[in-house]
Amino acid sequence: MISPRPALSPSFLAFRPGSLSPAASPPPSPRLHHAPPPLSASISSTVAATAAPGHAAAASSFYDVLGLRPGASAREIKAAYRRLALAVHPDAAAAASSAEDFIRVHAAYSTLSDPDKRADYDRRLLLSAAARRRTAALGRSPSFPAHRSRRTWETDQCW
Amino acid sequence: MRPGYSPFPLLLPPSTSFSPLRTPRIARPQQLLFSYPKKRHRAPPGDSPTRRRRRRRRLAKMAEQLYTVASDSETTGEDKSQPSFPDVAIGIDIGTSKCSVAVWNGHQVELLKNTRNQKGMRSYVMFKDDTLSAGVTGGAAKENAHEERDILSGSAIFNMKRLIGRMDTDEVVQASKTLPFLVQTLGIGVRPFIAALVNNMWRSTTPEEVLAIFLLELKALVEMHLKHPVRNAVLTIPVAFSRFQQTRIERACAMAGLHVLRLMPEPTAVALLYAQQQQQLVNDNMGSGIEKIALIFNMGAGYCDAAVAATAGGVSQIRALSGCTAGGEDILQNIMRHVVPNFDNLYAGQTMDRIQSMSLLRMATQDAIHKLVNQETVEINIDLGNGHKVSKVLDHSEFEQVNRAIFDKCEKIINQCLVDAKLVPEDINDVILVGGCSKIPRIRSLVLGLCKKEISYKNIDALEAAVSGAALEGAIASGVNDPSGSLDLLTIQATPMNLGIRANGDSFAAIIPRNTTVPARRDMLFTTTHDNQTEALIAVYEGEGERAEDNHLLGYFKITGIPAAPKGTVEISVCMDIDATNVLRVFAGVVKPQGPATPPFIEVRMPTLDDGHGWCGQALAKMYGKTLDLAVLPKKLQP
Repeated sequence: MISPRPALSPSFLAFRPGSLSPAASPPPSPRLHHAPPPLSASISSTVAATAAPGHAAAASSFYDVLGLRPGASAREIKAAYRRLALAVHPDAAAAASSAEDFIRVHAAYSTLSDPDKRADYDRRLLLSAAARRRTAALGRSPSFPAHRSRRTWETDQCW
Repeated sequence: MRPGYSPFPLLLPPSTSFSPLRTPRIARPQQLLFSYPKKRHRAPPGDSPTRRRRRRRRLAKMAEQLYTVASDSETTGEDKSQPSFPDVAIGIDIGTSKCSVAVWNGHQVELLKNTRNQKGMRSYVMFKDDTLSAGVTGGAAKENAHEERDILSGSAIFNMKRLIGRMDTDEVVQASKTLPFLVQTLGIGVRPFIAALVNNMWRSTTPEEVLAIFLLELKALVEMHLKHPVRNAVLTIPVAFSRFQQTRIERACAMAGLHVLRLMPEPTAVALLYAQQQQQLVNDNMGSGIEKIALIFNMGAGYCDAAVAATAGGVSQIRALSGCTAGGEDILQNIMRHVVPNFDNLYAGQTMDRIQSMSLLRMATQDAIHKLVNQETVEINIDLGNGHKVSKVLDHSEFEQVNRAIFDKCEKIINQCLVDAKLVPEDINDVILVGGCSKIPRIRSLVLGLCKKEISYKNIDALEAAVSGAALEGAIASGVNDPSGSLDLLTIQATPMNLGIRANGDSFAAIIPRNTTVPARRDMLFTTTHDNQTEALIAVYEGEGERAEDNHLLGYFKITGIPAAPKGTVEISVCMDIDATNVLRVFAGVVKPQGPATPPFIEVRMPTLDDGHGWCGQALAKMYGKTLDLAVLPKKLQP
């Protein structure tokens, strides 16, 4: 189904803020098929994949992208953004780095640095966490591999 | 330096060796015309993989090469003798009136001086018989040093920065017709014809060529100073420059054998310098390290820019950018028209006596404006010839009255910046005033008043800030590491103008809105406007206008083979991508319905237009506006 568009990098379609439709939706990024990375066994990362589908390719919450805990202060957010910018921005980074990393860091920052957008994002994070707890209460163990792949399938459908 | 190495291999005969002690003279200007380097997007064909790898490593952090630069076309042994000098990009500020160049000398930024001991060199090129000389050396030896009256004699071309990449319908080009050299327009959206007076004859040239000759002399000056060839440069440009104008600057650089590493909007270069100073204060424990908001206002002879930058930890984030074409040249012309009310009648058509008379008026007016900075009133007394005399006393209120429209423009871009950055004047910590016109009392009071500040930021030199920032960026982008950490800096750029396509008839759909942080990638869905529409025209524009025609056309292409379907059902995605080197790519294709019958996506690097975009957009609209139109897919229909 995707074959007629081989020239297109998956990352190009992965960034589709605000314009996601089931038919146009990109194939789930390869990273989603893997089990969550070790660090993000915490609630926030898996939750973020559902909470912010537009940034699903990042497979982690905006707080994780900036290396912060969810309650971080505005000043901490600004400091983290600048520290990361110096590390990943193609202009400043010592190692060759792609624009992708910076775009991801900036997307996280632009949401978290705006009080309204941040409040909205935090609310969605909480809601998905609650939804996830309900699912867990129904007897599905999130740590059980079979169920994890099933949940990914479900979230794919609801996008 | 390798013996026999010529930094100008395309411009001088092969036998000419480069002596660091001799000022190069460009003997035959015509040669330049035939030495346009070929446009090249990637590594040259025939480049061996090893060479390519090596080159890639060397240029690890460098932009993808736009054009082959002259010194790069030397194929023999270029890579064998890896340059032993650090390939650090130089910083160049090409001003409408004056130009300066700076280099990172390993410890700090150093501005270079020419043989006349000037840091700010007059921007012009003098055409004389078969020799050309630019304002860098200013005629070199003392006895034939160019005076202002020589520059205004019709034989020199200046104000290139106002003319470059503009069509003859542009009001800036129209205003340039009062300059002493020839600017001919047809008013149909093609390039103006410009020419310099050589032996009583108009000889044609182009703004790119004039700029290239100037840059060549500038490059020679730097090479004389550094004692090794230079290849890479960071140039500052006005915020108001369109992407098309940027390609013309790149073309001129390529003609001069310079590879453009970055084109930085002038206030963002100043922001980088500010970031460095703030970082040093923190290191010296004098600063707090809290984010500081600076409003940077830059006004030179040709352009006026404003920017809001949020700075902390050596990182300056551009929150808003705004610019317009208002500068000292406009102020000068306003005053000239004010003191000689029948100016346009008097100086219509460039005859020898008119050029001479106009140059007298220009010099006297310029002098008066400069004096007015420190005086309450100024007297203009000149004999313009043909029994026409001007005697006038000018004071501040009259000066401000005459130039009210220009001050209004300045006010507008500052307010625009504050609104776009979502800031109120109280949020601003520092107001930085740079550029030649920032000395004008009314400009200072206007900017400070809008920002509710008593004084402007002190530690930045108004005339050297932009070029210093460019040299800093040159060192950073070349990968120089300074052990003291004084290069751990970054300017996070933003787009100065909306980027989008024509849709819904004549409307402009902005895909990347202005002041979006770069690198950026945005997309938008569109749909067909007719049943069974199989083709769609993607016309890419840049600008602030609501109608597509009010903006700059950058390029166009068609999406063909759209599956037949009722109108409004097909989904076409148009994605715009700007990378860190500010290259714009547009991707477009059908995303719904999916299947083997949908055509592949198209990727186009913009701008694709080379010339004549004044009438091109109109022609496109006339021919295809109705049949190949697209409509923005309403958000409510987007699942």
